[in-house]
Amino acid sequence: MQATLTALVAKAQTELAGLTARPALEAAKARYVGPNGELTALMKQMGTVPKEQRPAMGKLINETKARLQELLDAALAAIETNELRAQLGPAIDPTLPTPDARSGTYHPLTLVREEMCRILRKVGFTVADGPEVETEYYCFDALNTPADHPARDVQDTFYFPATAHFGNVSKKTAEEKYLLRTHTSSVQIRTMLKGPPPIRIVSPGRTYRRDATDATHSANFNQLECLYVDKNVTVRDLKALLDYIFGSLLGKDTKTRFRPHYFGYTEPSFEVDLSAKHLPKVKKEWIEIGGCGMVDPTVFAGVGYDPEVWSGYAFGMGLERLAMLLYGIDDIRYFYQNDLRFLNQFA
Amino acid sequence: MKISLNWLKDYVALDASVEEVSRALTLLGLEVEQVIRTGAPALQHVVVGEVLVRDKHPNADKLSVCQVDLGPAGGVKTIVCGAQNYKVGDRVPVALAGAVLPGDFVIKQSKIRGQLSDGMMCSAKELGVAEDADGLLILDSRPALGTPINEVLPPGDVVFDLEITPNRPDCLSHLGIARELAAWFKLPLLYPQEKFRGEIAGAPHPELLRSVSVLSPEDCPLYTAHVIHGIKIGPSPAWLRERLTAVGLRPINNVVDVGNYVMLETGQPLHAFDARKLGGHQIVVRRAADGEKITTLDGKERALNSRMLVIADATKPVVLAGIMGGENSGVSDDTTDLVIECAIFRRQSIRWTSRHLGLTSDSSYRYERGVDPHSAVEAAYRAIDLILETAGGQVVGPACIVGGDVPWQREIVVTHRYICDKLGFDLPAAEMRAALESLELNISREEPTEDRGTAWWVTIPSWRDDLDRPIDLVEEVLRLHGTDKIPSAVVMAPGLIGDDDPVVLFNRRVTDYLVGHDFHECVSYTLRSAKEISTWVSQTAAVELALANPFVDDQSHLRPTLIMGLLESLKLNQSRGVVATHLCEVGRVFIERNGQNYECAAAGFIIADPVGARTWLPRERADFFTTKKHATALAAAAGVDLAKLPLVPVTGSFYGWQEGQSAAAGEMAHGWTARFGLLNLAMVKSLGLTGKVYAGIFAILPEKLTGEATRRRYADFSLMPAALRDFALVVDEAVQADDVRRTLGKIARAAIGSAFVLESVDVFDVYRGQGLPEGKKSLAFSLVFRSPERTLTDDEVNAAGLKIQEEIAKTTLWQIRK
Repeated sequence: MQATLTALVAKAQTELAGLTARPALEAAKARYVGPNGELTALMKQMGTVPKEQRPAMGKLINETKARLQELLDAALAAIETNELRAQLGPAIDPTLPTPDARSGTYHPLTLVREEMCRILRKVGFTVADGPEVETEYYCFDALNTPADHPARDVQDTFYFPATAHFGNVSKKTAEEKYLLRTHTSSVQIRTMLKGPPPIRIVSPGRTYRRDATDATHSANFNQLECLYVDKNVTVRDLKALLDYIFGSLLGKDTKTRFRPHYFGYTEPSFEVDLSAKHLPKVKKEWIEIGGCGMVDPTVFAGVGYDPEVWSGYAFGMGLERLAMLLYGIDDIRYFYQNDLRFLNQFA
Repeated sequence: MKISLNWLKDYVALDASVEEVSRALTLLGLEVEQVIRTGAPALQHVVVGEVLVRDKHPNADKLSVCQVDLGPAGGVKTIVCGAQNYKVGDRVPVALAGAVLPGDFVIKQSKIRGQLSDGMMCSAKELGVAEDADGLLILDSRPALGTPINEVLPPGDVVFDLEITPNRPDCLSHLGIARELAAWFKLPLLYPQEKFRGEIAGAPHPELLRSVSVLSPEDCPLYTAHVIHGIKIGPSPAWLRERLTAVGLRPINNVVDVGNYVMLETGQPLHAFDARKLGGHQIVVRRAADGEKITTLDGKERALNSRMLVIADATKPVVLAGIMGGENSGVSDDTTDLVIECAIFRRQSIRWTSRHLGLTSDSSYRYERGVDPHSAVEAAYRAIDLILETAGGQVVGPACIVGGDVPWQREIVVTHRYICDKLGFDLPAAEMRAALESLELNISREEPTEDRGTAWWVTIPSWRDDLDRPIDLVEEVLRLHGTDKIPSAVVMAPGLIGDDDPVVLFNRRVTDYLVGHDFHECVSYTLRSAKEISTWVSQTAAVELALANPFVDDQSHLRPTLIMGLLESLKLNQSRGVVATHLCEVGRVFIERNGQNYECAAAGFIIADPVGARTWLPRERADFFTTKKHATALAAAAGVDLAKLPLVPVTGSFYGWQEGQSAAAGEMAHGWTARFGLLNLAMVKSLGLTGKVYAGIFAILPEKLTGEATRRRYADFSLMPAALRDFALVVDEAVQADDVRRTLGKIARAAIGSAFVLESVDVFDVYRGQGLPEGKKSLAFSLVFRSPERTLTDDEVNAAGLKIQEEIAKTTLWQIRK
């Protein structure tokens, strides 16, 4: 009997080790330890074993049973391992390229615009928005641009026919014409007409000039303007803002310089120069980057703010120009062609 | 505007360097666009030499070997020369070893084809005194041998090309610029001294000028005419020619040149008539008659109308007032008697005529911006002086002056404190007063105030019409203080607790979404062509979205969609062999509905086949449902639930989209609209694009975006197990899955009542073909039931299932597929 048991274990050891599939394992399990299995059959022979040998024999049978279970468990574990391995393909070559490695990219103009907005948000400016189709009042009249000013000429500004109607762009007077805004300053007027000061907004957006497209000109381009209205606002505050903006954007070794200039809606007015020789393709000592000034009292009076009480400043710049400076791009048309070899450089 | 430094020095004793003057102009607000140096630069080791011997070069046909005498100090040198225009005995400039000619051309002793040359004989171009030159510069004046060349050549000049802002017409003249520089460098301004002061010696000459009448005084407040008899037309003297040439004008003759000179000096345009050519010897300043014509000096015939001001003689217009003279009245070589016009015209009148005729001139440029109303008479005297000096003749009477001095009186009261408050920093009162006075803004009265410091009564001169209010004087003080000296400060920014505009928030969300889903953000032009819009959108849109004055034909209309721009970018990439698949744009579109245009915020995308891409591992392609997912997400970014309105499959009536493969939701009446799916295959192909293009766009009226996010409420969910039942329903092909789903959900909810909950109804299979009749399809739905507090029994779920089946049989046309 003892020999039979030993032989049974030995046989199971050999047979189970070779199993690779669950059905075969189930069958083998039945053959060894099932109700009709060989071990069960041997256990049934216990009655024939002499009484004094029974304890020893019982122990032996239990050991054999435990041993068989161990073998079955091991076989199951081996089969499970095989099954998992079967789910895998061949080993990968990690150096192969990802077939859809393409990642989304923000347009450089968006990157520059958002960076400027973040910088300005830190000092309390919120981002304002307004229509690109405007009326003469918001684009010119309210900004102290007289009716015969050259900027209003049909040679320089895109107009719509008198028959055009824009359902969601309000007109101040029935006679005024719709046009494509030539600057985002119209947003300043709409914002001021909407509520009382203090005001601190930045308005980025598309603007339009009737101009030939070349390396530095584009029929539509993007501007970014700031408007600050409060009590006791000074020229020095304006300079402080510009120093802050360009210091944040281009680093501490950036300098700004004001040059007197003329705009109808600010007095005094300045052009802003940057000295940032660490940027690519900057050869000149000073590069013009935008215009600014103290809001003209006439503009305040026009929107119903008392110029004796309120003062403010405005600043505006071209986003393409800034992006060209930051990245060293020398042709404005690249922004509008969307060649992926261009777009992928700013990811 | 070009300004000559030599010329400026007539009025202000500038000894600053060119760089300092340039910086001063810049900081005064007179932007320097270019600094042009004319004449010879300072040249070392270039002297006058005389060709003694000219022999043919032994080894080169076109070269000569010369012996050149440089005088006692220089001796005789051997020089190889390639020029042909000289002969023995000519004196020429000789550059010797050590000389550096313009363009960093270093001269040294060298061998040319085996022949030693001690230097180079120079052309005018090589010396930097002319643009081009034919051979050597022959010095006809025969200066002494060995003379340094700079002593022989005319001295150089520096010309500043300035951008003058429209508020400063007074700076459109050398005197005006000199006034600014005199103030900056704290130097006196020296006005030209006129000899002629209006006194007229001779008797009246009615045969030269009988009368001047101004019929349109509102357009011409002042007209002056002086008669000069017995002049001789000829070339201007060298100094006058040099001045004009330096600032880019071509010398014509003494009279015309004086007119230009005085305009460039004073800013006051002048006109000279040949007195004999004035019909009836009359000058009439009047509006043109409609249909009247004039041939201007540029040879073009121009049709006039009654808004245009002309200077006429007894019968015809002879000058387009303030803009350009006529061919018939100007000065010619045989002119002997002149009428000098010096007038003030209304800016608006000149501007209107100039724009209307598309004709501008130096004169109209100045009149449009505003000429000093008090300068006319002085300028006339100045011109008379110079004509008498350069052309002879005498002034004969009487001077005709029609209209008066334009009244001018302006005074601005400003206080020291006011200026400091606006600047944000303090400057001494004395500095402010000095700054104002240096610009001839004279202080007529000065008084202390209680709390605003000194008050000044500032007299504004007639040429500074731009100064009108105290704030305008702040700028003048700051300009002379130096705008580069504004002290630094920190930004003072108390929070205003505002949020960005809802449109900005929407734009940011959709851009983040699309870029996050691997789209490349593009930016396209807003203006598109008419053809594109009538093809891709509608004929009415092509009418309503048109500009009145497009600049180029293919940019004549507002864009009604972003897709066209994206397709254009796709095409550009495909044509350049760059694989592009996912492109998006966020921006404004303009949607026409019932004759009204609406400006909308929009986000759009395209997904194209990866044309030309080869991959070792193919990936699944996009399909309609990819676009549906993205469009739904874009709508959600605007707070719009796309599922709340029915989706309309695209039929033939939608331009641009492929019938049966695309869908639309929303209309302008809802305030938003969405389109997505496959773009029309034939139309995409017609653009020259390869492969299929899926696309989507969502547009919304800006006013529909509120920016307020709705706060979500938590809903409790059951921890009990779910019970699932599937229903396969055979329906007509045209029936939409979502209609079936909604109805099935309603039936199921009715069937279970309040006993438990129908958690979801979802399509999990769509089948057509074998086993189903033609024109039918099978939609399989999975219904998930659950109770919030107990495990459902098979019996109750089965009972519910039976009820649902009965209800389907009773109320719908669907067959349950076993």
